[in-house]
Amino acid sequence: MTTTPTLVKLLFKSWMRSKVSLFFGFLFPVMLLLVFGSIFGGPSPPNYTLYVRNLDVDQHGTPGVLSEAFVRALNGSVFEVRLLKPGDPTPRGTGFAAVRVLTIPRGFTDNLLNTTMLNRIDVTTDTITSIIRMAGERIPEQTRDQIEASMEGLQTFKRFIVAEGVQITLEGSPDDRLLQPIEGIINVIASKFELGLLNASSAIEIRTVHAQVRQLRSVDYYLPGYIAAFIMTNGLIGVSSLVSDMHRRGVIKLLASTPVSKATWITSLIVVQTLASLLLTAVMVAVGWLVFRIVAIPDLYSLAVILLGTLAFTGFGVLIGGTVKEAEAVTALGNSISFPMMFLSGAFWPLELMPGFLQAAARYMPLYYFHVALRETLVAGSPETALFPALLVAALAVVGVTSAVLMTKWRDF
Amino acid sequence: MGSTAIVVEDLTKRYGDLVAVDRVSFTVDEGEVFALLGPNGAGKTTTVEMLECLRTPTSGNAYLKGFSIRDPSSVREIKRLIGVLPQEFNAVDNLTVHENVELAAAAKGAKNVREVLEQLGLWELRKRTFSKLSGGLKRRVGIAMALVGDPEIVFLDEPTTGLDPEARRETWLYVKQLKKSGVTVVITTHYMEEAERLSDRVAIIVRGRIAVMGEVRRLVVEYGGKTKLVFEELDGRAESLLRERGYELEVAPDGRTVVKVERHQEIYEVLSALRSLSLDVYPEIRQAGLEEVFLRVIGSRLSERGELV
Repeated sequence: MTTTPTLVKLLFKSWMRSKVSLFFGFLFPVMLLLVFGSIFGGPSPPNYTLYVRNLDVDQHGTPGVLSEAFVRALNGSVFEVRLLKPGDPTPRGTGFAAVRVLTIPRGFTDNLLNTTMLNRIDVTTDTITSIIRMAGERIPEQTRDQIEASMEGLQTFKRFIVAEGVQITLEGSPDDRLLQPIEGIINVIASKFELGLLNASSAIEIRTVHAQVRQLRSVDYYLPGYIAAFIMTNGLIGVSSLVSDMHRRGVIKLLASTPVSKATWITSLIVVQTLASLLLTAVMVAVGWLVFRIVAIPDLYSLAVILLGTLAFTGFGVLIGGTVKEAEAVTALGNSISFPMMFLSGAFWPLELMPGFLQAAARYMPLYYFHVALRETLVAGSPETALFPALLVAALAVVGVTSAVLMTKWRDF
Repeated sequence: MGSTAIVVEDLTKRYGDLVAVDRVSFTVDEGEVFALLGPNGAGKTTTVEMLECLRTPTSGNAYLKGFSIRDPSSVREIKRLIGVLPQEFNAVDNLTVHENVELAAAAKGAKNVREVLEQLGLWELRKRTFSKLSGGLKRRVGIAMALVGDPEIVFLDEPTTGLDPEARRETWLYVKQLKKSGVTVVITTHYMEEAERLSDRVAIIVRGRIAVMGEVRRLVVEYGGKTKLVFEELDGRAESLLRERGYELEVAPDGRTVVKVERHQEIYEVLSALRSLSLDVYPEIRQAGLEEVFLRVIGSRLSERGELV
């Protein structure tokens, strides 16, 4: 019977039979991935809801031709248009769903039509004036007189056209961070609409090409974040509780009274945690592929990062479990270190969503470098950018394991 | 008894100003069951843990089969020799009986898991999860974990504390089996009856010091006092006769008459004298034991929970 493999086998069995370990080590991260991945990580682009109140209607409620066409143009863009009748109140926002209301004023069709006619006259007279100037003496005198007479006729007609400016109103919350981009999108749609009325086309066109660098979806972000976070909690909370429980039961005292060394004991714990980490990674990658089609096949780089993270956090878990006397204090300490890191290090959501001071604070947390290194290797396939964070995790692993070996007592408990 | 298995010389353990073990010395022969009897906090566990190389002595030394506990190069050898049941031991809850003993066997590099399980009547229960066992069975698994690897010296630290009387007696049976198999056993306890029934020799330890030590029978003879014959009722004639014949009489607080004798033969002589007066009486015979020794030497009794009262 070889000592270390048997210890590993028995400790791993014990770990797998513990309901708490199974839940927090495997089920909980899978649940988080499924829930947050489904809510925030879907592949479809955001479809913004826009309420439109069209006041440009006749006495029968029939909308004007141009306002109706404008609403169609809006609906064909990124917006999901919801029509409000002229007398309907502004809807109330629920939860995080922002309410934006676009009001099309009364007389929109007439005013837009008249403005378009004025614009066309201006464009026509400007164009002809320019042509006459450029052509010069090549236009016969008589022809020139006739053209000028026609242009005066157009100017006379223009004076009979009454056109007021068209002002549509966009209403939204000042806290809505998307209100400004939405105003920009509506501006573009309105400009194109006006160009269409002038029978003109834009000279500037946008051509979209897909770059080689892939933009990660939210769910791609979550996957390595959750794996890293739960490898950390397995070490800091799971291992520390296990070691503390073994102390309380006298099992460590019994082991210490045998020829087995402290190093063998710690090595066994680390091997068990490495197996648990690999299993967690396999389960998460499989669920990610099956449900969200995340392609993240662990390579040597990502496996190395997983090993380093496991070493680091298992080391600290052994340290806490072996040095803190009371079981409640061990749990409290493990939780108080793990939870702030889980939520503030950017493992659960991108750092860019957090205020600046929290983003700065995250860079002091070991978990930040672990999940960044894992994301770069596992999802982005970029070991070069993972090098610096991975080196920091490696340094942490050295500190964690060394502290565990030095501080774990094998006598004088 | 054969040669000496354990030699303890002036072993001392201090924690700051507190002297937990104060110049304790004793020897334990091979195959002997030696009990350290004393109240909670007397220094019993500290003493055995120093012998198990789990605590570093402040001064003094001890030798197990000639290996010094203070010599770092001997520690591994000592750990090969010993089996330990720590105080308040509880094996791993979600491992089976077999797996728990296998855990201890792996640590000791031993292979006799099945043999030990059979020896302790646990083979049939080997697949049972530890958490589902009764208190007595749990303790038996602990003893199995101590015994796996065929240790020459076994330390049982309060092996029956917290067990019900039946489980306690069951545990005693396994300790007696150990004695028969020739293993040297050091047991710590605060139960008088346990020390009396199991040990060849006992050391009464109080406040870190051994107050008295020796074979149980010898201690009882030396410190236990006379055997008491307690009679429900004795008339004046009977009391006069016994006094005339030189017996010491006293009245117990409950009103019963107590006659003290030194030798067992005297019990028959007293009863014979009373029968000569046509008194057919049957006294309660109270023999002295470790409890009397403890009371005489320490001046206090030990409660069931191990407190001095």
